[in-house]
Amino acid sequence: MSSKRHSILPPVSSSGPKPPVHFSSSITIADSALLTGTHPIAIHSESVVHPRAKLDSLAGRITIGRRCIIHERSTLGAVGTSGKITEAAVTLGDYVTVEVGAAIEAGETVIGEGTVVGVGARVGAGAVVGKHCTLTPHSEIAAGEVVPDLTVVYSNGMRRTDKREVAELKNKGIARQIDVLRRMIPSNPAKFA
Amino acid sequence: MAAITPYTYIQCPCSDSSTLGRSSDTNSSRADGADDDDDRTFDPRAPRSNYSLYPLEYLLYCEDCHQIRCPRCVAEEIVTYYCPNCLFEVPSSNLKSEGNRCTRSCFQCPICIGPLAVTSVETKPDPSLLAAPDNTAAPQSGPYALTCSYCNWSSTEVGIKFDKPNGIHAQLSKLRNGGTARLTAKERKERRRDPSYRSSAATEQGDGRSGSDEKLDLETQFANLKSFYQSQLADPNASDGGLAALSDLGFSSPTSLSRIMSIYTGGSLHDKKAKLRVGAIREALEVDEGLQLADLDESAAIAQLHSEGHDGTASTSRLSDQPPNFGEAHLHGRSRFVSELRPIPYLLRTKRSKRCPVCRHIISKPEAKVQTTRFRIRLVAGSYIPSIAIRPLSLSSGSGTSASGSAGIPGALLEPLKPAHYLLTFTNPIFESIKVTLGAPAKTPGRFASKVTVLCPEFEIDANTDVWDEALKDPSGAGELRDRERERERRRHKGEEGGNVSNNNNQLEVGKIWERGRNWVSIVVEVVPAWLRLEHGTEEQRLREDEDLLEIPMFVRVEWEAEAVGDEVGAVVGRDKEAREKRELAYWCVLGLGRIRH
Ligand SMILES: [Zn+2]
Ligand SMILES: [Zn+2]
Ligand SMILES: [Zn+2]
Ligand SMILES: [Zn+2]
Repeated sequence: MSSKRHSILPPVSSSGPKPPVHFSSSITIADSALLTGTHPIAIHSESVVHPRAKLDSLAGRITIGRRCIIHERSTLGAVGTSGKITEAAVTLGDYVTVEVGAAIEAGETVIGEGTVVGVGARVGAGAVVGKHCTLTPHSEIAAGEVVPDLTVVYSNGMRRTDKREVAELKNKGIARQIDVLRRMIPSNPAKFA
Repeated sequence: MAAITPYTYIQCPCSDSSTLGRSSDTNSSRADGADDDDDRTFDPRAPRSNYSLYPLEYLLYCEDCHQIRCPRCVAEEIVTYYCPNCLFEVPSSNLKSEGNRCTRSCFQCPICIGPLAVTSVETKPDPSLLAAPDNTAAPQSGPYALTCSYCNWSSTEVGIKFDKPNGIHAQLSKLRNGGTARLTAKERKERRRDPSYRSSAATEQGDGRSGSDEKLDLETQFANLKSFYQSQLADPNASDGGLAALSDLGFSSPTSLSRIMSIYTGGSLHDKKAKLRVGAIREALEVDEGLQLADLDESAAIAQLHSEGHDGTASTSRLSDQPPNFGEAHLHGRSRFVSELRPIPYLLRTKRSKRCPVCRHIISKPEAKVQTTRFRIRLVAGSYIPSIAIRPLSLSSGSGTSASGSAGIPGALLEPLKPAHYLLTFTNPIFESIKVTLGAPAKTPGRFASKVTVLCPEFEIDANTDVWDEALKDPSGAGELRDRERERERRRHKGEEGGNVSNNNNQLEVGKIWERGRNWVSIVVEVVPAWLRLEHGTEEQRLREDEDLLEIPMFVRVEWEAEAVGDEVGAVVGRDKEAREKRELAYWCVLGLGRIRH
């Protein structure tokens, strides 16, 4: 059945250099995830990389913290307008969720712990997003911008502070979600080694 | 500049002062005096026209008056009130008592207007201790809050939590910001009467008198004031009566006041006895009487402004979205900050039926049930009057390979003083063949007059017969569809010929239609766009807004024969299929062709 589904999708292009990877043994990474680039890609324990997520380390190292979820068709390390090579292209803290189709540009970009990058959102090169932020779908963070902790970016760039104090709960929810995803996504870290 | 696609707007007769109030009969009798119509060419640029032009889709049609009706002239009646969130139908009797907002648990986020959900704010026990599925299925307990899943707003931000997950509206109305309970009317009365409460309040204030700096909320203040004034009215002797004669007509006299009160309460406070009672009444002097000193200390608000800045203040639109909250603090210190906004109960929506303004017949009536989007009656103009589609037609001898009108880029600018051709396709929606007569001024109104020539102002369109009826009727078995196929073939053939200049000239003959189909006819309109320059000496050189827009006013008259309506007595007996009557409909429309280059 899975082969049938693959026939509908365009073939995953595996062009480009194969990056050196540092995977924790407990991660879940789909066979069809796309890892390219020359710099190392590190994924820490219990994180999940969905099929067709794209990690591009051409512009620098990519680090994904513990219990992160990288959804389908999201891009980490897309070469932004600057195009320059930095030491750390993209760094995700723990419990970061990058939703479907979101893009995080390369260039010392940092996403803090527990932050949710919404569907189709875009984080510019060099932006530093604080802890437990929420970027609602299709919001954009300009290159180099610093977003304080607990910020909610919504409705075309409006900002407010999340006062719910539910970080603990959210992290637990992510842990539960990862439990489910592990059973759903066949992991194949050996392919990228 | 944004390119525009050609459009047709139709003028509803309700805005035409000359036809206002006339029936269709007088309209038809007037039709022979076509010269009259010429005198008052409809000007699409006139300021009034903005309010009378509608796309065909917006218009309704009264079958009894045989006239177009627009959203502006129909009379609306509310069929159903319902909540847009829970789709619950609200009886109109409830509306009077409970207001025009949903009283179930439907709320909008005051920050982003997204829907709010009731969630438990109690921290769940650690999932690692128990089997996860059982734990999540376990009934959640403890305080609940309204939370927005989009912007992460939570009612705990204004200090509001609920004991039960249902009946949120009732719970919220009893809560003030910060979670303190709003007093009920009964409680207020008891507090006022209960000396122990008063004394305890007084001792709390550390003051012998019940301090006048006690904060009253709006409701309590109003209740106090009301009872105070009522007691003043009842006891006229309490007044000093020194300036009795003078103050008889003043606002502070009991007679005036009782008159005002009787206006509002509808009661009979205003009787002859009351008139005799003369004397000024004093104003409230204590908290119990409803006195509330203005709180002029705004340092807290200023400090908050300092810390939160402009982003922390609520915009006027957000404030106007807020439902009235009588339990809130006094007007001084009224919520101006985003951090004080309360959840917004959903405003109810309505389903409306529409009536003809002249004959009062219903011309649009939705199904009363909220869940259905169907209409019981819906007489849209599109099924009574021909639709007009506009398409540019390129006839330039070089590139005119396709005669059926693939013009240049749609929405391209019109070249001044260069003739351009447009194909108007009239489609007949009714089951009778119609005769269409067009009238357009030779020059468009306005400062810059473009020349307009309608090449074929009079033509007939065949009836809108059912495609399949036609196909089944066809004895040769070819069928309408195959006919159309053949017609398309023929057209394509013609199109090839269209490359020939001489043939083109033949086709653009005055008085001939361009193309004809089952229930449609295409004609050609030639325009010579104006030169958008004013001669020297004219007062204003600059173009005004939309003066480069080429809009043609066009008077459309549609005539057809319909089966006579058996209105007259005995008509049913004498009626046979040949009893037909002539119908006519005439209206102005505006054809927007495009913008002229300038
Ligand atoms: Zn009207
Ligand atoms: Zn509702
Ligand atoms: Zn919200
Ligand atoms: Zn009518």
